[in-house]
Amino acid sequence: MNRRFIAVLAAASVLGLSACGSGSPSSTGGGTASGTAGGGSDLTKVSVGVIPIVDCAPIYLGDKQGFFKEEGLQLDIQTATGGAAIVPGVVSGSFDFAFSNLISVMVAKDKGLDLKFVANGASTTGEKGKDIGGVVAPAGSGIQSAKDLAGKTVSVNNLSNIGDTTIKSVIEKDGGDPKSVKFVEVAFPDAPAALANKQVDAAWILEPFLSKAVAEGGTIVSSNFVEMSPELDIAGYFTKADTISGKAELTQKFTRAMNKSLEYAQAHPDEVRDIVGTYTKIDEGTRAKMILPRYRVEFDEDAFKTLGDAAAKYGTLTKAPNAGDLLP
Amino acid sequence: MPAKQLLGVAGILGFLVTWELIPRLGLIDARYLPPASEVIAALIVDFGLTAFWVSVGETMKAWFLGLVIAVALAVLLGFIIGSSSFLRKATNSTVEFLRPIPSVALIPLAVLLFGVKIESSLMLITYAAFWQVLIQVLYGVADVDMVANNTAKTYGLGRMARVRYVVFPTALPYLMTGVRLAATVALVLAITAELVIGSPGLGREIALAQSGGAISGMYALVLATGLIGVLINILMRFIEKKTLSWHSSVRSEVIV
Repeated sequence: MNRRFIAVLAAASVLGLSACGSGSPSSTGGGTASGTAGGGSDLTKVSVGVIPIVDCAPIYLGDKQGFFKEEGLQLDIQTATGGAAIVPGVVSGSFDFAFSNLISVMVAKDKGLDLKFVANGASTTGEKGKDIGGVVAPAGSGIQSAKDLAGKTVSVNNLSNIGDTTIKSVIEKDGGDPKSVKFVEVAFPDAPAALANKQVDAAWILEPFLSKAVAEGGTIVSSNFVEMSPELDIAGYFTKADTISGKAELTQKFTRAMNKSLEYAQAHPDEVRDIVGTYTKIDEGTRAKMILPRYRVEFDEDAFKTLGDAAAKYGTLTKAPNAGDLLP
Repeated sequence: MPAKQLLGVAGILGFLVTWELIPRLGLIDARYLPPASEVIAALIVDFGLTAFWVSVGETMKAWFLGLVIAVALAVLLGFIIGSSSFLRKATNSTVEFLRPIPSVALIPLAVLLFGVKIESSLMLITYAAFWQVLIQVLYGVADVDMVANNTAKTYGLGRMARVRYVVFPTALPYLMTGVRLAATVALVLAITAELVIGSPGLGREIALAQSGGAISGMYALVLATGLIGVLINILMRFIEKKTLSWHSSVRSEVIV
């Protein structure tokens, strides 16, 4: 009897304690995730697939500010670990809209999937050395600019995607031979470690790990997005062409709300930093220092063409994509 | 405390001390392998968070459902296939072909069919756990004592009665072994599916911690999965002891 009483007491206290604690496991700065309260039954449910990274802050911010509710949409934001789960999710109808970088959608379209962007997601800041991504080399390695990368091993997070396409293009522009570069796949969180252990000569790293790598003594050899085009759009929200034609009103509502969110995010960078803490595990110190992408509504068609042509040139795509087909 | 338990505790303590020393002495960079004290502190913080227990609940839900479906299917198919030598020979090569396929290879298929929801985890868990139990049930059914079976037939017991009174008790120890193995496999697959696909659960929290650079938190969650594994093992052994209390394997020796 005594033992059972103690066991019940222990279980009750655990329940009690856990009910008090808000925040998510292992978040070192954790804010409270603002859950969208169950709205009225007249809201249309829209499921959006995103990756839990800084670039997706606008949709979370817009959700919190109520822009989507104003358009009559109840957002169901689902996180996927990467593009491999996102595109099948859109094609199968699991997600109404999803976030992905430009090259992933170009590749999907190239392979015959009829996808189209409806809104911008994130763009480069346009400032060399102060961009959200860059190629980092350890200090004193002798790699000064893009053309010094020829013949070296460079890590990117995914092969045949935006990282190696932009880096190859930038190397060629600078006068080096892009074919001599060896690309290996290392995820962004693991890239600083790979650099420190000399497993790679240089690494393409995105925020929030870029600031960390630079703080640990790395030098940014090339801001590949900026050098490709200072107006480069990196990612956007896309869906099936069927959804755009079949659910035209829903698409327009989503696009309007998304554009509002993008403009709001660009105007309120501190709120962006705060909301990033709710859906990622990035600690407060890193959040305060990291460089934020540029959020804007319009796509830059020239930058798109530059990117598409480069992808076709380096074999990621069979042919250069048509901006009219893919951009809204 | 009996010597065996003391040795066990000493082993765990030794492991923790080694883990504490390695980053502190600089053998591995402390940024990438935080010392044990930091990780355990992060784990204790997690125990007070609702979201942590929600994730544990999601993982356990996927684990339990996947295991139950796998066991039910495997028992049904195992008994049907095992009782007919024609079916056994016909399905043997198919089973041997499908069995070694790693469930993680089915991840793209699962994502395409079910997206990022619990059903995709269930597909992987059920696939992996099913084979564990099926093989064991097939062995169990094949192990039926022919004398006992023929005696039952002579006494006029029909097919269903024979299954209940002769085949099932013979197969039960094998089945329980299969369930115990499947339980471990199911947990591994549950965490893996959540890690790679992003379906709700501890695995997704681990991926999130990693992608956010919260290394101590990530290791804390990894420790948590290990603890869950230990608990599941203890639970399975307890269930096995209870259901097989009549069997000589339990009665004639003490299983620790």
